[in-house]
Formats: sequence, structure tokens, C-alpha cells
Amino acid sequence: MEKTILLVDDEAGIRKVLSISLSDMGYTVLTAENGREALEIFKKVNPPIVLTDIKMPEIDGIELLRLIKQENRETEVIMITGHGDIDVAIQSVKYEATDFVTKPINDEVLEIALQRANERIAMRQQIDQYTQNLEQLVSDKSRKLVEAERMAAVGQTVAGLSHAIKNIAGGLKGGAFVLEKGIELNNKKYLMQGWEMIKGNVDKITHLSLDLLNYTKTTEINYQPCHPNKPAQEVFNLMTLRAKQNGIGLKCQLCPDLKELNFDPELIHRCLLNLVSNALDACVENHSGGKNKEVQIITATTDGWGVEYRVTDNCCGMDEEIKAKVFQEFFTTKGAQGTGIGLMITKKIIDDHGGVIEVESKKGIGSKFVIRLPKTLV
Amino acid sequence: MENKKILVVDDESDMRTFVSTVVETMGIEPDTAQDGPEAFEKARSNPPALVILDVMMPKIEDGIQTYQQFRTDERLGNIPIIMLSAIARKTFFHALSMLSPQKGDQVSEPEAYMEKPPDAYELNRLINNLVTAKK
Repeated sequence: MEKTILLVDDEAGIRKVLSISLSDMGYTVLTAENGREALEIFKKVNPPIVLTDIKMPEIDGIELLRLIKQENRETEVIMITGHGDIDVAIQSVKYEATDFVTKPINDEVLEIALQRANERIAMRQQIDQYTQNLEQLVSDKSRKLVEAERMAAVGQTVAGLSHAIKNIAGGLKGGAFVLEKGIELNNKKYLMQGWEMIKGNVDKITHLSLDLLNYTKTTEINYQPCHPNKPAQEVFNLMTLRAKQNGIGLKCQLCPDLKELNFDPELIHRCLLNLVSNALDACVENHSGGKNKEVQIITATTDGWGVEYRVTDNCCGMDEEIKAKVFQEFFTTKGAQGTGIGLMITKKIIDDHGGVIEVESKKGIGSKFVIRLPKTLV
Repeated sequence: MENKKILVVDDESDMRTFVSTVVETMGIEPDTAQDGPEAFEKARSNPPALVILDVMMPKIEDGIQTYQQFRTDERLGNIPIIMLSAIARKTFFHALSMLSPQKGDQVSEPEAYMEKPPDAYELNRLINNLVTAKK
């Protein structure tokens, strides 16, 4: 590529002589006879190299250097000085001049100065290129990393899912065996037991597929104004019968001071249903007996939040280890009974609402799940 | 065949029903327990010919603890045990050695180990081997 040099000198003779030398070296030469003209040309052409005399009327070389560097820091500016201009030379260095050439100008010295300027330009281009490559490289690698992480998450999900399905398949296989024995031996007890196992596992796989479907559906929140007590009341009504059948006292305590909020009532209904259903399961599991089993649904006001829901039970409880895992994907304490998706979905819904879900639990005493939803304007 | 039962220990009712049926259709009376303490209590009052034990009840520690309890008991220590488990054999033995107290002698390995879900015919074969061999 042919390089352009802007040559600035107030003496026509020097401009002429230097122009010839520079053209011979292969440069395209533009000339200006003073600082103002030089700046005009510079702004139009933006030449990579400027060769300027220091002593000029009006705008001198130092000032021109400063102005050019202000326009484009990367311009290589070579100063032409007379003898003994050390002070001026120091000032030029301060403004990042590339080199000095002393008058009378020796072609060889000029050539060396230009060579240095060109090397600096080439180096800068190389660095720019490296930087660009590096940025490209970083963005490529980051994309791959994000992809790998996503794949790992998918892998984990699939592994959990595979475990859940394997459990159900095991149950079905066992059921089929018991049923087969019943047919073979004409044994009514086996027939009934095998049939129950198969039905139970068909229910489980149905629930699993519904859970998965629900999980994919939770991505959209359908915000609408609703009284926060409404989903709590609905869940209470829905679960009363099941609680009664299992000898568990289900109680509901709704705070009258709550105000209407903006949230997705259907999703919050699902969260509460899930928590209450878990609490009832915990009570059914609990064989210790003695105390009256009780599950409570409570709504309350709390500072800084729109509503606080509490679902408490006085059964089972969890130890620290289990408590730490409850919101994890596919974590379940219910063996083949659970898929481990319920609390994971609940947490996702609450997170998506900008709310919080917390759990307090003591083994043998009971558990308390707390959901807080943000104050949202209606 | 002696008049002894086989004790089936699992926290999942489906698994208890299935394994009990396998045992019962072999002409042996099954007894069931939902957890370690219940199993131990039943075994002490009426020592079984064989114990079929789930490793995860619901955590691996529960199953291994029960296993160690059986093995270190004077009266029950010689009863053969089939471990049923949802975890791979290698993982189980590793966990067993890690959780064994350093008493000098390691707790002996179970007579048989089966990954869940158990195959009825394989289970049948194992029970046959262990119960007749004992006799």
C-alpha cells in the first residue's frame, strides 16, 4: 500500500526538495505551508505520517503536533528542528513526537526516521489484529462454554428423569410379575396386589408427564390483579377432603388486611397446592402417632412484601442434609412415590415472580415453608 | 425346609409386595418391615432364614446401618443377606467400607448383591441358593 505523508514547512525550497526525496522513497506527498493549512489537509486525508518544521509563524510545529495528536493519537509525527533546539525537542517528546530530523536534512537520517515510523505503524496494526483475534477467540470460547454448561444442565435433568422413569418401570415390572403369579396360581390376593401396583405406577407416570408439561408451561407468567387470599382459600377447599380421609387436621387462617396484588393466581395456586400436598404426604408418612397431625395454610402481611404465605405441618420434619436439597431438581424423599419435580417448579414460579421461598424444619417437629411475593401495583 | 421366614425390608410398598410375592410363590413365608428398626425387632423375636434388604431407606446410611447392625449381632450375624439397591455394586461396597467403623475387622460383605429393579427369576435363584446352602 502506498503511504501518504503530509509535509509542513513554511519555506517553499525545503518543501520542494523534501517532496522529491519522499516521492523517490515511494510516498505520496501532500504539502502545507503553515499550521492552519496543514490541519485542514490532515482532517480531510488523515495521513499516517506527518513531517513538520518546528519554527513556523502563527501555529508552530509543537502546537501543530499537539493538535494532530488530539485528532488522531496514532499519527506518527516527525519534527524537523534547527540546531540547538533542545528545549523544543523535549517539548515535542512530551507530545509524543516519533522522531527528530535536524536541518540541513540528510536523506539517510530522514529515511531511518521514516522507517521507525513505519515500523510503529505496522506494529500497531499487528496489535490491533491480535486484539481483534483475541476478542473473537474469547467470544468463541465463551459461547462454547455456555453451550457446554447448558448441555451439562440438560444431562443432569435427563439423568434425573431417567431415574424417575426407571423407578416407575421397576414398579410396573414388579406389578406384572405379581399379576402373572395371580393368573398362574389363580390367586385372588396376587391378582389384586399386582393390579394395584400397575394402577399405582400408571398414575405415577401420568403425574410425571403432567409435571414435566407444567414445568415447561411455567415460563410464562400471566400477571393479573387478584386478592392473595384467593389461591390460599381455593387450595384449602380442594385439600380438605383428602386431609380428613387421612386423619389430618387442615386449617386455614387468612389475613383480612391484605390488599390486591398483581401476580399469576393460577401459578401461585399450583405452588400452594404443591406445598400443602407435600405437607399432607409428610403427615401420612409419619407413623409415630401420638400427637394430632395438623397442616396449616396462613396468609400474613410482612414488611416490604405484598404477601406472606406459610404452609406448616407438625409431622416428620427434615434434617439439615435433606433441607439443603429440597429445591434441587429431581430430589425426592418419597422414593418411587415422588418425582422430585414439585418443589423445583414451585421455586421456579416464585423466582420468576421476584419472590422468595424459604424452608424451616426440625426433624421430628415439623416443617414450615414460607413464600413472599413482592408488592406490585395493581 | 425349616419353618423359617424370609424377612423383606424396604421402605417402598410396591417393592415389598413384589419381593414378598417372589418369596411366597417359592413356598416360603415372607415377613416384611418398612425400616431398619422394625426389621431388627422382627428378626430378634423370630430369626429369619434370610434377609432381603434395601440399601436406600431412604438414604444409603440407613440401609448400611441396618446391615451392620445385623452383621454385628451375635444371634443374627450368620443370617445370609441379599442387598437390593438402586446404586451400582461398586459404589455400595465403597460406601460400606467408608462407613464401617475402624474396629480392626471389617464387616463382611453380603452374600448377594442385586441392583434394582430386581429380576424375579434371578431373585428366585439367589434365594434358592442361599436358603438351601444354609441348610
